[in-house]
Order: sequence, then C-alpha cells, then structure tokens
Amino acid sequence: MDDSQPRKFQKDLNAGLVALVLLAVLERTTEDLYGYEIAKRLQKANEGEALFKEGTVYPVLRALAAGGLLTSRVVPSYAGPARRYYRITEDGRAMLRQWSDIWRQTRGFVDRFIEGTAS
Amino acid sequence: MSVNAPRSIDEYLKQLRQALEGQDPALIQDALYDAEEYLRAEVAAHPDKSESDVLELIASTYGAPDEVAAAYRDTEAKVKAALQTPAPRTAAHTSGLTRFFGVYQDPRAYTSLFYMLLTLATGIVYFTFVVTGLSLSAGFAVLIIGVPFFLAFIGIARVIALGEGRLLEAMTGERMPRRPVHPGPPASWWRRIGEMLTDVRTWTTLLYLLLMLPLGIIYFTLAVTGLAVGLRLALAPLVVLSRDFGWLPLRLSADMLQIDGHAVASPHTLVGSLFYMVAGIVMVTLLMHAARWIARGHARLAKALLVVPGA
Repeated sequence: MDDSQPRKFQKDLNAGLVALVLLAVLERTTEDLYGYEIAKRLQKANEGEALFKEGTVYPVLRALAAGGLLTSRVVPSYAGPARRYYRITEDGRAMLRQWSDIWRQTRGFVDRFIEGTAS
Repeated sequence: MSVNAPRSIDEYLKQLRQALEGQDPALIQDALYDAEEYLRAEVAAHPDKSESDVLELIASTYGAPDEVAAAYRDTEAKVKAALQTPAPRTAAHTSGLTRFFGVYQDPRAYTSLFYMLLTLATGIVYFTFVVTGLSLSAGFAVLIIGVPFFLAFIGIARVIALGEGRLLEAMTGERMPRRPVHPGPPASWWRRIGEMLTDVRTWTTLLYLLLMLPLGIIYFTLAVTGLAVGLRLALAPLVVLSRDFGWLPLRLSADMLQIDGHAVASPHTLVGSLFYMVAGIVMVTLLMHAARWIARGHARLAKALLVVPGA
C-alpha cells in the first residue's frame, strides 16, 4: 500500500506534464525524432527513478499529433517497421509557450507553500 | 498484481493484449504496434544482452503491460473527448419533428453522404487493384519476380486498408487503427509469404477491397438518386413559377427543368407544387438519415474485415 500511494500521486501529476515535456523536447531539437528516440532522451534525462514510463509517451505523442500540435511523417526503416518521425508545429509552439507559463506559475505557487515562505 | 513478468517480446505483447481486452480493436492494434516497435528497438540496441535480459528491465523503462494498457485507455478517453465532434444532443423532450430535421445539424450526416458518393470511385480503384494484383501474382508465381511481386501487392493492400480506415474514421467517427499491423521480426521472404498466406486478415482485407465495388455502386446510386429526385421535387414550385408566370429566379430557364422535352414531376398548379416540395424535403431528409445509418453500418463492416481478424 505504501508503495502505491506515491505512484498514484505521480501518475496524477504526469497527466498533463508528459505532453508539456514532449512539446519541449521537440521544440529544442532541429531534427525530427521518432518515438523510441524521444523515449530514450527522456530516459537519459531521468536520473535514478524514472518519473514516467516510456510506454506512456507513445499514446500522448499520437494525441498531440491528432490535436495538430505535432506533424508526423513515416520513414521506412531497414531495422524493422517504418518509423513515425514527429516535428512540432506553429500551433504546438504557441501551446508550449502558454503551457510553460502556466507551469511556472503553478510551480511558484506550490513552492511558496511547500517551502513555507507564504503563510 | 505481479503476474509472471514477460520474458520475451511475444509474451509481453500477449500480456498487453490481455490487459487491453474489451477495448476497441483499433486501439489495441495501435498499442501493440507501439510496444513492438519499442521492444524490438530496445533489443536491437543491446546486442550483448539476450532478449529475456532486456525484457527483465522493460517494466522499469517502458512499463509493465498493465501500466501501458492503462496509459492507452486514459489517453484515448481524453483525446476522444477533446477532438470528436459530439453527437448532437437528442434530449428526450425534443419532438419527433425536431429530431427528424435535426439531422441537418449533424456534420456526420454530410460526411456520410460524401463518403457514399466517394465509394464508387474508391470501389473501382480497390477492385481493379485487387483483381490485377491477384491475377498478376498468379501469373508471376512461376517466375523469380513472383515472390517480391506478391509481397509488394499485399503490402500495398495493407496500406490501402489503413488509409481506408483513416478516411472512414474521419467520415463516420468510428475508431480505426492509426498504425498498421506490426510485421514482426525480420524474416526470410519465404516465411513472410507463408505468414501472409495463413493470416486470415490478408484474405478479409482483399475481400473488403473487392466488396467495395458492388457496395460503392449501391451507395453511389442511392445517394445520387435520392439527391436528384429529392431536390427536383423540392424545387417544383420554381418549375411552376417559371412555366406559368414567366418568373425565372436565378436565371433558370424553363428548359433546364425539363428532360427530353417533358417537365419532370411538374405539377399543374402552384398549390400542387407545394406538396411536391414537401415530399422532396422529406425525401432529402430521409436520405440524410439513411446516409448516417449506412455509413455507420459500413464502418462496422470495415472494422470486422480490416481490424478484428488480426486483433
């Protein structure tokens, strides 16, 4: 039981954060990335315990593409099935700026209570 | 919670499929594709480790099958809510008349009608493709190019099936796969051919593509006849106005409303023409309802033939 509570909290937190992180990753890079590459970049940035499982990245990528925030193209691959490469769109960049602002506000607000500077 | 952890890619996919049981077959196909892509890339990235060693770590990186299944279920529900045009509200208190004419507010009715008109064209293309592909495959079978030709033929048929699914989802809202079926680990051409020949979905896909011609003819005829006759009846007052009163709205000439010298469905009086108009409007409205209903039924057929056999 003790183990599942923090995990549930983390999962609830991640609901919107995965999308934000994915947009940020794709905004920072000049090349198109495919699902496995993106998952690996996140894994590398994750020191120690993974914040979210890479399996959760794929459905969110697809959802972002369906919402027009990412475009994708399929490139045949010799190593296996064709890979879908993603690139951020202008809508995606605009959304990322909005989301980042919301994130900064939220972080500041929450920190004020957790660090105890507000009371 | 800890069912025995998967030790191979096949086992992992089997558990993921079990965890997703009851979900839309199209969603299951997508999830399995993503997982297989990741797992095969991961195994290929660690040539020094065995498949079971790599799979041991998968639960902490990609996620255990039930975790991944939960992620797909959640995301699917959210995306669906955000992107899909909600079905028009048919509240219990609306009258039958409002509901009958409410079909004009449903974007699906228009897209369904459009799909019906389109099926004649797609049906001809699909049918020709399959008949040509099958007969050339049979002819080439004795030659060295027979094998690659057949593989390419089935491969293109699968791409067409995926595209047809995307089109249907856009037109009817029925969830269809966004990924093809994963081809599995690299294998020799002969094994690939064997797999294709024994895969039920290969044959149901070809059957669907063949069926699209007769269905397309029926859908197209229904749509065109319904539209032409319905609109013609609905415009009956214009015929009377132009014939009897010399009033030509929109620069319609009386000739344009005639076929072979006969004014089609021409009532004798203006009042009579109003009845024609009502009948025409009812007819077009019925056609809109029928289009929605037919497209929904067709999407179900497509899912049964293009998605379910492999899921």
